[in-house]
Amino acid sequence: MFHHILLCTHGTPGARQAETLVFEKLLPASPEARITVLTVFNEDWDVMTGDDWLNTSTTRNTFRSHVETQLARETEAHWETIRERYPAASRHRFMHVFGPVEATFAEVAHKRQCDLVVIGAWQKKMAKGFKHRVSPAKLHPILTIPLMIAP
Amino acid sequence: MSEARNNVPLFLMGGIMIIYALIVNTGVLLPLMKSIGTHKSVDLQVTMCFIVGILGILTGIVNSIRKPQNTVLDRFFLQPMAGVLLLLSLAMLVRWYVEPWVIIGSKALKPIIGFGIYKVLNLNYVVLGLLVGVIITNTVGIPKFAASGVKTARFVLKMGVILLGARYSFAELAKLGVYSIWLVGGFVMGTVFLVLWLGNMFKQPKSMTGVLSAGMGVCGVSATVAVAPVVRAKSEEMAYTIGTILSFGIICMFVFPTVGKLVGMNPTQFGAWAGTGILNSAQVAAAALAFNAVDIATLKVAEIFNITRVLFLPIIVLVLATWFGKETGQKLNFKTVVIDKFPIFILGFLLLFLMSSMGLFSPPDHYKGKYIDFSYNDRTRITDQEWATLNDALDTGAIMGADATQMAALEDLRKQHQIAGNFDDRNNKAVFDKVGRDRMTALESILAQLKAKKIEMSKEVKGVVDHALKQVHKKSKTIVTLTDCMIWFFAFGLIGLGMQITKKAMAQAGGWPLVIGLISGVTKAVLSFFVVLWFVKEVTLK
Repeated sequence: MFHHILLCTHGTPGARQAETLVFEKLLPASPEARITVLTVFNEDWDVMTGDDWLNTSTTRNTFRSHVETQLARETEAHWETIRERYPAASRHRFMHVFGPVEATFAEVAHKRQCDLVVIGAWQKKMAKGFKHRVSPAKLHPILTIPLMIAP
Repeated sequence: MSEARNNVPLFLMGGIMIIYALIVNTGVLLPLMKSIGTHKSVDLQVTMCFIVGILGILTGIVNSIRKPQNTVLDRFFLQPMAGVLLLLSLAMLVRWYVEPWVIIGSKALKPIIGFGIYKVLNLNYVVLGLLVGVIITNTVGIPKFAASGVKTARFVLKMGVILLGARYSFAELAKLGVYSIWLVGGFVMGTVFLVLWLGNMFKQPKSMTGVLSAGMGVCGVSATVAVAPVVRAKSEEMAYTIGTILSFGIICMFVFPTVGKLVGMNPTQFGAWAGTGILNSAQVAAAALAFNAVDIATLKVAEIFNITRVLFLPIIVLVLATWFGKETGQKLNFKTVVIDKFPIFILGFLLLFLMSSMGLFSPPDHYKGKYIDFSYNDRTRITDQEWATLNDALDTGAIMGADATQMAALEDLRKQHQIAGNFDDRNNKAVFDKVGRDRMTALESILAQLKAKKIEMSKEVKGVVDHALKQVHKKSKTIVTLTDCMIWFFAFGLIGLGMQITKKAMAQAGGWPLVIGLISGVTKAVLSFFVVLWFVKEVTLK
């Protein structure tokens, strides 16, 4: 039914529902479909040094580099979990991009010629992880393909 | 042509500033300025707006005819200029218009709501500037053209601290240094160990407690940024910690000055409390200026505490790196852990302090504890008109409620036209100065009791006493200029830093860091409050 599904996940409970939906329901229904697993490194990390003004630029650069390495490491661990949980996932592409969440979804979907974007439901308040909720108001006008939200 | 288009904000802001300077220069705005009480700054407004406006337009022209390059001139001057102009415009707007209007509005609302919002929230130009920065970044966002200029706020704030170095004497620095080392040392180490202990009790990962302990104990986000790579903090732990610290700090910035005023803290006590209890160093500076933005006594104390905290940072990083390294087998790199963390701007602060102490900005004994000049000279006399006012008041008995010592000090001021010792003792400097100092203290107590409505006298006579007191305090023009620059640097820097505080970052507060952070932050604030009230005595700051 679908040729290329863009699965957007960063490992939160809602996103894991989206993973289950894609690998247990959508993929068996369209076995030939390609899947791109996308993890967005939220651009808000750029502002996470807050009002720090005491450190030298070397210290701030070291922090930035640590954040990048850490995010990459955590993402790789998350992808590994997906591969273990859904063996079929190993055949598909995993990628991470740094940027604004909604715009990155739309951009990657367009570039990779996807025909469906799947995301998880909103995180509950005080849920674990980096707090960010996808804004439908920002996403809908720029997304030219169907969006599926895993319940 | 496209280059010129990119520089439209520079031309626009520069042009507006020049036009504003021209309008102010004509005197058209003088009635408005008088109504909001900013008329005394009219010359400053014209000069600053002209200089900044011309600088903006010149930079715009250079940027338009010259292709951007990766030179020092481009990176540190030409590219950030639009952002610098934006921050400067905001600082001027807040200082000359927003703050006066907030005061007027607050006074108008007082009969309705029963209290002055301005006083309760300490909404002076510093706090308002920081709030303006926070509001801009969380609503319209930082304009693209200003992005690189806004980043200069950190540098400018450091310049402010460096200039502040010129305002300390050896005596002040020694006294405040002792207080700060004891208090900061005790509370930094205490909080670090409290957080580590709480983390252990709640069975939290060492990377999380490590990064949180530095943030809560030393200097907030700055310490978090410095320690996170050392303890290999996870992304979620960093986000939670930074969110918690930023949110807690913003609350402290409003609560501390109000509490400090309610309990009647003096500048030394408040500076010490803010410097110990508030997590983020930028918010320490903001709270100190919120407590008192008119003179910089509180800021001087708070910044010494800030500097002590920063000096503690490499030590804490080393302690945590050793503690974490033992657990993980990670090897220590002394350069990365300590040398790179050393705040170089403190060397600048010390340099200015030494230059000032050696008399490069003023006679050498000005700031070595001899702040008061009781010698007979024309410079310390009150004016003839002021003398006539005082003479009339004393003759007609218009001063009521003053005791014998206070009346004697006033009588001597009438007799000598200035605060000084007795003429007969002029060759015995110690006795002469002591009598002069006693008279000064008596006159200061008159002003204090006048404020408490225990003494009655006219505004004119109060003005005479006030002026006489000011006259004996030495101030060099260079020091006054450096201080004015420093205040503008702080206002500019705090607006820029306000723009770095986003609700997205604060919203990350959560998880165990929020729980442990709140316990340790509140404990530190409350304990330091009592310790400061009991042990910190006033230090003479001029």
